[in-house]
Amino acid sequence: MLALLTSALVGCDAGVPEPNLAPAKAKAAQCVESTADMRKNHMAYLNVHRDKTVIEGIRTTKHSLNECINCHVAPTREDGSAVHYTDEKKDHFCASCHRYVGVKIDCFQCHADRPQVAENINYQHKLSSNNYHLSAKTAKPNVNDWLLLGNSQAQGAAQ
Amino acid sequence: MSQINAYRRKFMAALGGIAVGGLASGVMLRTVEAGDVPAKPVDQPVSNKVRWGMLIDVNRLTDGGASMVEACKREHGWGNDPKASPEQQSQWIRTVKVTDKLTQHSFTLPVMCQHCAEPPCVDVCPTGASMKRADGIVQVNKHTCIGCRYCMMACPYKARSFVHETLIDQRPHSPRGMGTVESCNMCVHRVDKGQLPACVEAAPQAVIFGDLNDPNSRISQAVKELGGSQIRADLGLNTGVRYLGL
Repeated sequence: MLALLTSALVGCDAGVPEPNLAPAKAKAAQCVESTADMRKNHMAYLNVHRDKTVIEGIRTTKHSLNECINCHVAPTREDGSAVHYTDEKKDHFCASCHRYVGVKIDCFQCHADRPQVAENINYQHKLSSNNYHLSAKTAKPNVNDWLLLGNSQAQGAAQ
Repeated sequence: MSQINAYRRKFMAALGGIAVGGLASGVMLRTVEAGDVPAKPVDQPVSNKVRWGMLIDVNRLTDGGASMVEACKREHGWGNDPKASPEQQSQWIRTVKVTDKLTQHSFTLPVMCQHCAEPPCVDVCPTGASMKRADGIVQVNKHTCIGCRYCMMACPYKARSFVHETLIDQRPHSPRGMGTVESCNMCVHRVDKGQLPACVEAAPQAVIFGDLNDPNSRISQAVKELGGSQIRADLGLNTGVRYLGL
């Protein structure tokens, strides 16, 4: 009995294991809010933003789930296999922590859990693409972006 | 003779204009069409000063709307759910063939959510998930949808579908998931950016999209000039999607 108790205590001494967070894809200095704030409040930001978007049509990118995914999730692993939230390996950014804290979410029953690259191979996170993504400097700008930006900026981008 | 020459000059000038338009390609086309959907600042809510609507000229649809259906499938990723039987597949927009029994005259038209001003689907929804935005777009807020399918029963246009299975790799701009009802949302993500809905872009010769509240918009002018019938106008739902040539 004593031995059992001791071994249990030893287990406690080891402390809580560190979460194995998947790395963010973009190398921005900081997320849209400070890291501590994001860890505590990301769900609140997402909840507020989702209602604003769906009901009022406000489509700012700062607290958008799509932008979280674009920045934090690489669409494929190094071996080319797709990264999904439900994967057993739990190396999806969201899954890596949500498994650790035992919180079940249903965002990805409907929302895409990885950036869609099949249609747009050069896609990079728009907010930081010029500063933080090497490939964005060498890759040709997306035609759709040109059209959205208007002609003057599009010509600037082409030069 | 001089009259004929003048006519020829005008005709050639018109042809030249067309050739120039063709050369300038997509950019020109987009800026012209962009007038129909003024871009809204992303941080501003939609307003009820606008009411989005669509006018479809059935006679100008050479394929009866099949290209519009394909464009919608591509844009929103429905119609190919792996486990669904053909009857279960989602159908945001479909083509309907109509035949007059007496004359055997027959034509095909695309039918999707008609974006009613008085939508029955919104009336019956127990959770408020089936909703009409301020700008007249009717859609499902899937965050509150419980999948009861009451709205599917209420819709006289059979516009709504139910997702029966777990899906992956949805379009990032168009979330779809098991246990929720879905339907045409007039491509809200595109309209908010100042782009045309995917189906309108696929059939620019036959469809006008724009603001029904603005008397100077292309669609208001067209509706004023040519009329535009509603399907099941007897229900008094005041639909945002109107048809020519029914």
